[in-house]
Amino acid sequence: MNILTIQNLSKSFGKQKIIDTLNLSVPEGSVFGFIGKNGAGKTTTMKMVLGLLQPDNGEIYVCNEPVFFGQTRTNQYIGYLPDVPEFYNYMTPIQYLKLCGEVIGLSKSEISKRSDELLSLVSLNGATKQIGGFSRGMKQRLGIAQALLTQPKLLICDEPTSALDPVGRKEILDILYKISGTTTVLFSTHILSDVERICDHAAFLNEGKIAVTGTLAEIKALHGHDSLILEFSADKDLQFFKKQKSIEPLLLHSEENNRELILHSRDMVNVQKSLFRVLAETGICPVKIELMEPSLESLFLEVVK
Amino acid sequence: MNGYIAFMKKEFTENMKNYRFIILFAVFLIFSIMSAFLAKFTPEILSALAADMEMTSEPVALDAWKQFYKNISGVGFSAFIILFGSCLSNEYSKGTLVLMVTKGLSRKAVILAKYTVAATLMTISYWIGYAATYGYTSLLWNDSNLSNVVLAAGSLWIVGFLYLSILMIGCVIFKQTFTSILFTGGIVAIISLLGMIEPIAKFNPFILTSKNVDLISGEAVPAEFVIPAFISIILSIFGLLIAIRLFNKKQL
Repeated sequence: MNILTIQNLSKSFGKQKIIDTLNLSVPEGSVFGFIGKNGAGKTTTMKMVLGLLQPDNGEIYVCNEPVFFGQTRTNQYIGYLPDVPEFYNYMTPIQYLKLCGEVIGLSKSEISKRSDELLSLVSLNGATKQIGGFSRGMKQRLGIAQALLTQPKLLICDEPTSALDPVGRKEILDILYKISGTTTVLFSTHILSDVERICDHAAFLNEGKIAVTGTLAEIKALHGHDSLILEFSADKDLQFFKKQKSIEPLLLHSEENNRELILHSRDMVNVQKSLFRVLAETGICPVKIELMEPSLESLFLEVVK
Repeated sequence: MNGYIAFMKKEFTENMKNYRFIILFAVFLIFSIMSAFLAKFTPEILSALAADMEMTSEPVALDAWKQFYKNISGVGFSAFIILFGSCLSNEYSKGTLVLMVTKGLSRKAVILAKYTVAATLMTISYWIGYAATYGYTSLLWNDSNLSNVVLAAGSLWIVGFLYLSILMIGCVIFKQTFTSILFTGGIVAIISLLGMIEPIAKFNPFILTSKNVDLISGEAVPAEFVIPAFISIILSIFGLLIAIRLFNKKQL
């Protein structure tokens, strides 16, 4: 089942079309990476899912219920963490969670039970000072706690790690990974290593559309090809190597860079077989042979090209 | 309903913590006390400063009330509007409302809670100010043949709700505090200008702020205030509904 479905969503600001007939489904139970460069429209999309922005066109369904702009019904299924969460500075974390709990309509005992659990999940159980004095990382962690207070089916995080130092980032990712068993997580980012670390699904947003989507393995298999780098000690070796008959077909998908030759193929085993045969026959000794796995980064660059 | 009550509690705490209530309360109280004292002692101060000036008439209790209505309708309500002009713009600029609304807090509850709290704090400040003027006036003057004192005060108080409704619309439309205040000032100015147009002047809520002293002195009768008060209340409710409607369509 899909927890979030977006159909033909469009949104313009003035003459600039930010989102252009976007389609996206987030399956239940997944950790979904929503990838796009800065200004691609990730935040805009998320705000429309939350009913904070009015779409020009298209439908959004959360748990099979339609989202209406300005209404908050579907938000009961969603926990939201904005990129820079802001709280009422004069409150302590406990007071803030109490306010949130009362807004949702939880009982007193339920609020204090969940607050304790969540604050220890995000390691803020000892923090009794006012939120105004919090670091960014602490605010981000409190942001996760408040988002989870409703026990949402879907947690939406907008670039939760972008503004944090390595320690803060690791903490946030660990927390997201911890809760992924019970909650579907959709998080936007442009940090690809974060996606590779915790996501099982991903979508690339480019020019207002989803360019690629699926499980990480699917995406890599579909769109990435393996590459092989060959570095020669001299240019004449490279030229000589390229003239060999059995190498010529491989050069169709290749790049040349100084004394380096990069071969792309989906069938790396056969490439290697003919490559090593040629090297043995001609006696050319490259200085480096390296097999490169497809990375999200190369995919990302390919998609946004 | 849960959300409304929770958010109202938050608003009360906030107005205490950021000194909004204390400032409002102090302004109302100081100007109320000053009303009685200034009325009583201005002639003496003036004659002390300029020895050759003769005061032709003794100050009376009515002068204290004149001061009160001038001060409260001017300085008091201006302070009220300026202080609460930032009640939504702060939340817009910081983005604190987003977290509340995405928790399922209805936008209606946000506006209603803010209105309730601002109106309550204004009411407390206003009537304590009134009590102070009343107390000092009866202390300084023994002649108390004034009529409809409470009614006159009540009519100005009703206008406070109208001002707040207008302010709420301004706060919802504009993102900056300054423009919201300017908007409110502009609408209030239009209302008072309309008060000069003779055929409709007798329905204008402006009467509630301008004829209070006449009511106390007996130059005006309570009946003149009924329709303007009624219209003021209707406009306040209407304004609040408009604010909610506009806020529902606001992109946060």
